[in-house]
Amino acid sequence: MYDLRTAAPWKYFFRRWKGVFIGGIIIFLVIIFSYIKNSAVTEAVLASAVRQSTPLILGALCGLLGERAAVINIGIEGQMLLAAFVGFLFNVWTGNLFLAVLAGVGMGALLGLLLAFMSVTLKIDQIIGGTVINIIAIGLTGYFYKVGMTTKGKLQPIPLGPLAKIPIIGTVLFNNPPITYAAIVLVFLVHYILFHTRWGLRTRAVGEHPRAADTLGINVYFMRYMNVIAGGAIAGLGGVFLTLEAVGSFERVMTNGRGFVALAVMIFGKWTPLGSWGAALLFGLTSAIQTQLQFGGKVNIPHQFIGMLPYLLTIVVLAGLGGRARPPAADGIPYEKE
Amino acid sequence: MKKLYLILVFALLASMLLVACQPKATEAPVQEPTKVPEPTEESCSSPDVFCVGLVTDVGEIDDKSFNQSAWGGVQQAADELGAKINYIETKDAKDYGANIDLFAKDGYDVIVTVGFALGEATGMAADQYPDIKFIGVDQFQGEAKPNLSGLIFPEDKSGYMAGALAGMLTKSNVIAAVLGTDLVPPVVAFKEGYEAGAAYVNPDVKIISTYHPGGLDVAFTDPEWGATTAKQAIDNGADVVFGAGGKTGNGALIEVASHDGLYCIGVDTDQWGTVPEAHPCLVSSAMKLITPGVFNLVKMAKDGNFPSGNYIGEFGLAPFHDFDSQISQEIKDKLAQIRQDLLDDKLDTGFPPED
Repeated sequence: MYDLRTAAPWKYFFRRWKGVFIGGIIIFLVIIFSYIKNSAVTEAVLASAVRQSTPLILGALCGLLGERAAVINIGIEGQMLLAAFVGFLFNVWTGNLFLAVLAGVGMGALLGLLLAFMSVTLKIDQIIGGTVINIIAIGLTGYFYKVGMTTKGKLQPIPLGPLAKIPIIGTVLFNNPPITYAAIVLVFLVHYILFHTRWGLRTRAVGEHPRAADTLGINVYFMRYMNVIAGGAIAGLGGVFLTLEAVGSFERVMTNGRGFVALAVMIFGKWTPLGSWGAALLFGLTSAIQTQLQFGGKVNIPHQFIGMLPYLLTIVVLAGLGGRARPPAADGIPYEKE
Repeated sequence: MKKLYLILVFALLASMLLVACQPKATEAPVQEPTKVPEPTEESCSSPDVFCVGLVTDVGEIDDKSFNQSAWGGVQQAADELGAKINYIETKDAKDYGANIDLFAKDGYDVIVTVGFALGEATGMAADQYPDIKFIGVDQFQGEAKPNLSGLIFPEDKSGYMAGALAGMLTKSNVIAAVLGTDLVPPVVAFKEGYEAGAAYVNPDVKIISTYHPGGLDVAFTDPEWGATTAKQAIDNGADVVFGAGGKTGNGALIEVASHDGLYCIGVDTDQWGTVPEAHPCLVSSAMKLITPGVFNLVKMAKDGNFPSGNYIGEFGLAPFHDFDSQISQEIKDKLAQIRQDLLDDKLDTGFPPED
């Protein structure tokens, strides 16, 4: 059989990502066309897409850091929710947004530690471990949230000087509040760490073949702990995005399944940060488009059908264009030292 | 290792307890705190004691909206009529009937159920317990039952006034509505009325409105979607946003508040008191006066002249609060005129749609 890996790197890249590549070009052309037709609406839709993709990509980064080290994390939803609540509480108490973000991220990391403890040290079923986190988060936030707590403002957009004046790209990418910037930076940072550093190589080794990694002197447990905790912190950032940047207030179960969609985004992106970012943007874009279609009011399709678009797209892309998505080989299997 | 499992199991159980824990009415009265004596089974079944129970829709009693307004009416009954009151928060739509049964079996005299979604369960309970008076907030009664009264509101007229206000305030001639779901008829009525009212005062206005794409379970509890959609509407040029959809709508209001010089309009209750974060933009709210409606019905039940079928509550715009000085007398007069015309059924709100 023809092995892709021996082909030229760009050929390999193209074969592997051809679906995304072709899809990307089509979307790009459509965006240019619609920008020429109506620039304000196009920018509104794209800005909305970026905004809606932010919690998804942060959740997906959390999921893939864990799974690359072979810990399945279905507790992203709970990590985001509890972090959102803690961030909100700190904002109410101190009025200091920076402190509130730190507190939320810390809470996410703490829940990451809990998940790592359950799945690495106690070796309990990882699905159960994640579910425990989800239930704890819904219970704690529902019980301690009191109506009448009000915050003193939320994170405001910071235009990046002249960059923000570029048509389309400037308004969409360079005129955002801080957590959105942080999410974009994190995508590239996680990509760099996973695929271009020793730490990343070890993480992936632990996820693919922990025994081999252990034989070579890599501390499997330590790697898993650190990655799950780092993931938890990122999920926490996704949570505080909701309360401190997007909404500015907390409501019970306000994550509304975004943590689970993030898992789909991660699989859609084949467990890679860049792929997941593309998937998250696609989810955000379809969601923004369905809102815009309703704004226009001309399309007479029940909006539930348009609401299905992101999920339908996932199936089509996963089944047809994207090819097989392969999880890390040891994903979900606790490691026993001999 | 065994100990750790025990700790985990304990933590899991504790978290479940937290989920199940309901703050009792006597512990956490919303709005005006009133001391309510703990109702006991004997006291409620005795004819001398007047007991009123409230079953919420999925959501909390302090939801800053529907449940809270209805509970306000019940609390007023406790203050003014000396009723013993209590509430149950519904956690799952499957439990509507069971929760109503809890009050019915305890011998409550009046049971208030809040929300369109409880309509069927309330109707069934009314058949089963003919001696108990039922008040169904937002539940339209197709056929009248002697012990069941549906408290309904002309949302289209309320929305009409909000639309008229928005149509007169807008400078960009683009106004928006961020809505819950069209699965709930009152939300549709708000939207149709809003659009008709805006078009009535300002024929050039462009109205962009959106329903939440999700189902009943998320449509009213998704503030992030509301905020994002409001932002997208603002980017589309809208300068007045009507947020009608529980917490989803609240998210939209708070988003508008973070932009300078824009107006937002709340829904159901005077949201000046319930969403303080929206003060920079909150010019008014399209109100359904649920609290006096519930109180009046409870009072009528106590006095023995309980109306069956549908009882139509009042509507209106909330006070302008800080914006009072910015609203010209001309606009206020026009709104008063529209309100009168609506009461006289002189204006077509476009709802229900004529087929």
